[in-house]
Amino acid sequence: MSDRKQLLMIDDDPDFVDGIKSILTAAQYDVDVAHNPKDGFAALQKKKYDLLLLDIMMGRGAEGVMIARKMSRDPKLREIPVLIMTGIREQIAFLFGSQALHPHFVEVDELMEKPVEPRLLLERIEALLKAASVKASEKK
Amino acid sequence: MEKPSRILIIDDEEIVLDSCLAVLEGRNYEIATAPDGTEGLKTAQKFAPDLVLVDLMMPGISGFEVLEGLRGIDPTIVTIVVTGYSTVESAVEAMKRGAFDFLPKPFTPDELRLIVQRGLERRRLVLETITLRREKEMLQQNFAAIISHELRSPLSAVQQNLFVLMAELDTQLSESQKGRFERLKVRIADLLKMIQSWLRAVSAPEGKIGGDFAPVSVQAVIARAVESVQTHATRKDITITDSAPGSLPAVLGDETILTEALVNLIGNAVKYTHAGGKVAVSAAVEAGQVVVSVADTGIGISAEDVPSVFDAFYRGKVGPDAEAGCGLGLALTRRIIEAHHGTISVESEIGKGTTFTVRLPVSAAESISPPGEAPAAPSTLDPGDPR
Repeated sequence: MSDRKQLLMIDDDPDFVDGIKSILTAAQYDVDVAHNPKDGFAALQKKKYDLLLLDIMMGRGAEGVMIARKMSRDPKLREIPVLIMTGIREQIAFLFGSQALHPHFVEVDELMEKPVEPRLLLERIEALLKAASVKASEKK
Repeated sequence: MEKPSRILIIDDEEIVLDSCLAVLEGRNYEIATAPDGTEGLKTAQKFAPDLVLVDLMMPGISGFEVLEGLRGIDPTIVTIVVTGYSTVESAVEAMKRGAFDFLPKPFTPDELRLIVQRGLERRRLVLETITLRREKEMLQQNFAAIISHELRSPLSAVQQNLFVLMAELDTQLSESQKGRFERLKVRIADLLKMIQSWLRAVSAPEGKIGGDFAPVSVQAVIARAVESVQTHATRKDITITDSAPGSLPAVLGDETILTEALVNLIGNAVKYTHAGGKVAVSAAVEAGQVVVSVADTGIGISAEDVPSVFDAFYRGKVGPDAEAGCGLGLALTRRIIEAHHGTISVESEIGKGTTFTVRLPVSAAESISPPGEAPAAPSTLDPGDPR
C-alpha cells in the first residue's frame, strides 16, 4: 500500500462531489465518497481515514452537524480532522434559530464556504493533515 | 382502504339511534352512540369522532351545551344537530353557534346519508386546511434554510466545477476561452450573492437581529463599507470621500450587519452615479443620534419614486447606463437600520443627486471595544473633495 492519504467526503450533491474529487485525485489523494450521512458514518467506522470533508445540509436538515457531533464523542474518530464545506455562510447561521447548526456548536477544524477555490482547498487540507500528524507524533 | 370515519350519534330516543345505525351501516364508518349529552361528551373524549349528530332536545344537558363541550374537546369536529320541526329556530341558533348543519326529524335514510357525507367532506377539508396551514408555517419558519440550500447548492456545484475545469485545463485554454470562463464565474458569483441578499431581506425581520448588540464604532463601519465598495467605484471613476470625524460616540449594534447596510447605501450611490461623479460619506452627532449621510452626484430619484424606494422589489426608473439591481438592497438596509432603532430617509433631485441619511441612537454605554483594524482617524480617501 502506498502512503497516499485516505480522504472521505460526505456530501449529497454528486456534481459538487465530482468537482472536488477531481481536484483531490489530481493532488494524489485517495478519495472515498458517501452521498448521505448514514453511509458516511458507516464508512468512517469501517476504514481509517486521514481527513473528512463534510457537508452540513444533507437529508432532513443539518445532518452534517450530527456526524461531527457523533465523531467528537468517539475516541477514535475524534482524531480525524474535519473540514466542513458548506453552502451556508457563517454569517447567516443566526437565521436558523430552531436548529443548532452554527458551525461553532460543533468542534470542527476548518470551515470553507462552497464553492471553494481548488488551490485554497488543497492548502487547507495539507495544513490539516500536517497538524494532525504533528499531534499524533506528540502523543507517541 | 382509507381509515374509517368516526361518527358519534347522541340521541335519547333509542329508535332514532337504531335507525341511524341501520342507515349508515355497511359504509366505511365506525359508529358510536350515546343516550344523552353527558354520556355523549364522555364518549367523544375517548372516541375522537370526525362527526357528531346531536339531538337538540334531550333530557339532561342541552344540545347547545353538548356543542359547546365538543368544541372544547376538538374545535374541528363537525357537528350536525338533529331536531324536530317545531325547533327549527333553535337549529338555526345551533348553526350560528358553530354546528355545520341541521337535520329535521323525521328524515329519510337518504337525507341522513347525504348530510353525513357532506359533513365528513367538510371535516376532510377542515383537516386538510389545517395541515396546509401548518406546512405553510413550517415553510415560513424554515424559509431561509430551504432557499439557502435549494437555490445555492446547484449553483455552488456549477461554480465548483468551473473552478476545477479552469484549473485542470489551464494550459490548454486560449486567452479568450479563459476570459469566458472568468465571465461565467463572475455571473454565477453574482447570482449567489443576489440569492444571499434576497435571503437576508426576507428572513431577517427585526426580531432576529439584535440578540448580541454591542457598542460599535461608526467610523469603523463607514471605513469598512467604503473599502468594500472602493474597487467598484474606482472602476467607474467615481470618487468616494469619507469625512466622518474621529470622535463619534458609539452606537449599539451588530458591526457586520451595520456595515452591510452602509455597503448597500454606498454601493447604490456608486451604482446610480455617472462616471466621474462623487459620493460623499459624512457623519455627525445631532441630538443624541449619530447621523450618517451618503450623498451622490448621480441620476437622482424622481419625486414619485421617493416614497417607494425602501419597499422590497421596488426598482425606480433607471437611466440608460445605470446598472440594474434586484430591488432589495434598500429594503434590507431599512430593516437593518430599524432593527438598530434608527431611521433612514432620502432626499433627491433628478439629475442632481441623492442623499440618504441614517440616524442611529448613541449607545448608552460610552465605552467601546477597539474596532479591530479600523483606522482611528477619519480616512480621507480623496483629500481633494471638501464635502
